[in-house]
Amino acid sequence: MTQSLLQIRNLSVALPKGADRAFAVHDVSLEVKPAEILCVVGESGSGKSVLTATLMGAAPRGLRVAGGTAEMGGRDLLTLTERQWRDIRGKDIGMIFQEPMASLNPALTVAQQIEEVFELHSDYPRAERAARAKKLVEEMHLPEPDRILKSFPHQLSGGQCQRVVIAMALAMSPKLLIADEPTTALDVTTQAQVLKLIRELRDNHGHGIIFITHDLGVVADIADRIAVMRRGEVVEIGSAEQVLKAPQHDYTKTLIAAVPSLVPRDRPAAETEEAPALTVSALNHSYGAKQVLHDITLSVAPGRVLSIVGESGSGKSTIARNLIRLTDPTSGTIAVGGEPILDLKGGALRRMRRRIQMIFQDPFGSLNPRRKVGPMIARAAMLSGANRAEAVERAKELLELVGLQRNAYDRRPAAFSGGQRQRVGIARALAMRPDVLIADESVSALDVSVQAQVLDLLADLQKRLSLAVVFITHDLRVAAQISDEIVVMSKGHVVERGPANEVLTRPQHPYTRDLIEAAPGRGAF
Amino acid sequence: MFVPYLKKPLVLIGGGLALGWLLVAIFAPLIAPYDPLQTLQPLAKPMVAGAKGELFLFGTDMLGRDIFSRLVWGARTVVIYSTLATLTAYAFGLLFGLIAGYAGGRTDAVLSFLANVVLSFPVLVLYIVIIVVIGASPVNIVIAVTFSSAPAIYRIVRGITIDVASRDFVKAAVTQGESTLRILFVDILPNTTGPLAVDFCLRLGYTAITIGTLGFLGLGLPPPTPDWGGMVNEGRAMAIAFPHLVIFPCIAISSLTLGLSLLADGLREVNDAKERHA
Amino acid sequence: MFLGMFLLRKVAIALATMLAVSFLIFLALEVNVEDVAVKVLGQYSTVEQRAAWLAQNGYNDPFLLRYVRWLGQFVAGDWGMSTFFRAPVVDMVLPRLAASAILAGGALLVIVIFGLGLGVLAGMRPGSLLDRMISVFSVVTTSIPDFASAVFLSGIFVFWLGLLPGASTMISGLSLAELVLPVSVLGLYSMGYLARVTRASMVDVMGTHYIRTARLKGASMGRIVLRHALRNALITPVTVIMLQLPWLLSGVIVIEVFYAYKGFGTLLYDAALNQDIYLIEACAMISVLVVVLSQILSDLLYGWLNPRITLGARA
Repeated sequence: MTQSLLQIRNLSVALPKGADRAFAVHDVSLEVKPAEILCVVGESGSGKSVLTATLMGAAPRGLRVAGGTAEMGGRDLLTLTERQWRDIRGKDIGMIFQEPMASLNPALTVAQQIEEVFELHSDYPRAERAARAKKLVEEMHLPEPDRILKSFPHQLSGGQCQRVVIAMALAMSPKLLIADEPTTALDVTTQAQVLKLIRELRDNHGHGIIFITHDLGVVADIADRIAVMRRGEVVEIGSAEQVLKAPQHDYTKTLIAAVPSLVPRDRPAAETEEAPALTVSALNHSYGAKQVLHDITLSVAPGRVLSIVGESGSGKSTIARNLIRLTDPTSGTIAVGGEPILDLKGGALRRMRRRIQMIFQDPFGSLNPRRKVGPMIARAAMLSGANRAEAVERAKELLELVGLQRNAYDRRPAAFSGGQRQRVGIARALAMRPDVLIADESVSALDVSVQAQVLDLLADLQKRLSLAVVFITHDLRVAAQISDEIVVMSKGHVVERGPANEVLTRPQHPYTRDLIEAAPGRGAF
Repeated sequence: MFVPYLKKPLVLIGGGLALGWLLVAIFAPLIAPYDPLQTLQPLAKPMVAGAKGELFLFGTDMLGRDIFSRLVWGARTVVIYSTLATLTAYAFGLLFGLIAGYAGGRTDAVLSFLANVVLSFPVLVLYIVIIVVIGASPVNIVIAVTFSSAPAIYRIVRGITIDVASRDFVKAAVTQGESTLRILFVDILPNTTGPLAVDFCLRLGYTAITIGTLGFLGLGLPPPTPDWGGMVNEGRAMAIAFPHLVIFPCIAISSLTLGLSLLADGLREVNDAKERHA
Repeated sequence: MFLGMFLLRKVAIALATMLAVSFLIFLALEVNVEDVAVKVLGQYSTVEQRAAWLAQNGYNDPFLLRYVRWLGQFVAGDWGMSTFFRAPVVDMVLPRLAASAILAGGALLVIVIFGLGLGVLAGMRPGSLLDRMISVFSVVTTSIPDFASAVFLSGIFVFWLGLLPGASTMISGLSLAELVLPVSVLGLYSMGYLARVTRASMVDVMGTHYIRTARLKGASMGRIVLRHALRNALITPVTVIMLQLPWLLSGVIVIEVFYAYKGFGTLLYDAALNQDIYLIEACAMISVLVVVLSQILSDLLYGWLNPRITLGARA
């Protein structure tokens, strides 16, 4: 039995008085061994980030260690002074962060930032520092190491920045690495590469790694052992196999059940060939000299869901903005119910807008914080032609329909959680009785258990109201759950399209295959 | 919803000073012991009993007018004209700022250029030019302040409007076919009030400073209107022998403007805390 | 190359601004020719005298023509005759500008040293006692009108302690003692303002992810501040320093009048009291020019300090 690298016993971190619970982290015991990846899984508010910050001696202001020990190399980390910490950070423990771009100093070059670790923890001469920095960059599989070293962070991509951050964390070969959601901000294909790199670190260098994430797919790809956290407590801990295949705790079971499967749900084929509710043809869009959409052609029939899947920069959100006419395309046509909408102006445009509504991504930005949600929904109903009494009644019905109480009518957005706000957003869109609903990354900002509920709601409503839905997402799993058809986009082009089942199980285009390949936890779920 | 504001010492002290001067301005006739324009006894020192046994709290000026009474009535001058001038400046700044921030494009470019032209004058130079052209009268001073403050307010409102207009709830209103006017005044304007309340307090202070400074330069309200800046100007020549001529008006205006700044700071802190919370 | 384009654009905007400003000034002061005649010849001139003077000086030409001619002369350095001082405006403005530059330069020095210094100190540890003391100090200095600060400081250092002279006429040549009070009062407002801006910027930077990264690399507080925070935190304040020039120009008028200092401010002030319109025109034009130049300088500094701009990653 190998000796453990870090042994946490009964760690508790107290929240300031007046918080919604007494402890951010309560009575947590964990251990990490060399050459092992321990995944700490939890949804937002589970205390997982406070846990890691505490292990680096950098707990946020106002939080206080209330008990327990964290032993590493014969010392209790929790009792160290700031000066002692300075020796350990970067040398014995390295840290990798969620926001790679923001984690690098914009005013210093990559070389300066990597070499700084050597300046702090070694007495290597200048040339040696530079040589080692270059070697690290090479080991991170970064292209053109010399150019990268001379670059400032803003000249690199997100994935490249994350590799630089990892290089920095590894500079002194610390025994323990702490990675806090290191791939959350990255595209799936980039994520897959970074995960591969992290596995290499474990296999080739024997680092012990604590990997914090909310994504069970990632966990399935990378974990040796798993600790599930909820509201500050570890509810289940065990080997990856054990936790994923035979979860004991109810919460773990819910989490696992909520992970959307890559296997498409069985959806009935279209009964008859109905006239499409929305048609888009030969859509092109340029920002200045840069063309972001090339000849996009789509159509959606009533009662059907079309997903547009792509990574950041694929142009999928530009399509959404064109559809609701926030920006106009350079050329092409869009028609709702056969009526072209791009030439509409004034009153005609306003009447058309009723028929094509959007659910936005950010549940916090999409509701006016100054207005009560009921009147907000009722206003939408009135704009679509209802009188005041009808509108109020419709708003209340819709609140019920999306799974909220009628008495939510008089509350402001601040009184709701993210998932509830998204339900309000859906109610507002439906209040206009639209024919077409655009959902732009509408479940991406939600925790996985909430995500599953909102997806179910959308699928249910879509069927009942026979809506044509354009569902825009970066997440193939989500697309698999809701789509009749899938369109895959890359760099402004449609690279593949077809029935969801076909695209997911028999992808034709190499890019689609890469995407499916990269979907985390493909084997497990 | 006002409770968090009342827990801040800054808000209490600043608001207390500002409110105090407001009350003084309102009840000036009840507070002032003498007519501010009446000659009583020239250059009496503070707290010294006059010939007929009357008490001059802050002394009298060279025309024999009671300084305390002039300060009290001067509060009314500064409160009325600062508020009026700031409000008119806000009316213009708010209207054009909302329009430019929401419309963007050419409208924004033209309005912003005009605002920049006005803002490239040092404030006092601009006032001097305006006053030389249109003369110093109460109305003209309000016009001058409006002309020079409105562009600054415009800039702030425009910035906030651009920020608010980029949020999804405004896009949602657009896609619902909401009218532009309603979007501006129902969706955007209420979300600008936090930072604008802070700016309003600060600007009220600036305006009081400006009116005081114009008075100090002899370009403000024409005498014998009791005006703090004007009192400093009149007393300046004899300040070596009679410091009370200038000290008290300076304390009066400083306490008002300091109060407004503290109030603004306190409001900002509470707003920031709310923002973080949300 | 990118920086060149950036600069070219800024200069073009500055020129357009100057053009608009000159038009405004000319419009305000010379659109009414009768007024001009009264101001130049005095209230007691006869109607015939005014008519003759107007005809003689080309004032019967259309307004736009007069504007273009005036602008041409102004650019060529012919700024007319002061009606009050009976001397060419150019010869009066430039020496006075130099005198004011001494005041403003001294004030800038005070502003930079104390404003940046106090701001960095306060922003390093937000919420500390030092931070709160500096914050109170900067609120006070930014809230009190210039003339009141002058009264208070003179009250203390001239009347009470008797350390410094109460006027700065510089009759017997340049005197440092006479500069202390005007420079301090002039710098006070902007110093407090700069301290606030610097503090806010410093607090922002100290809360960023990359400062956390530096800390978790094992860097000490001193190293974090000097190597990681300062350069990023000073971008905004340094550009703000240049933008304080308009404030200083306003302050110069008040302070020079208060201390009887013979500079640009008192010149403009005398011109205003005496309705000396050519002198006012020149002073207004020059002060706007100074402001516009300072804006260009500020943009340049921003571009130079911020690698993201210099390297052309963002327009």
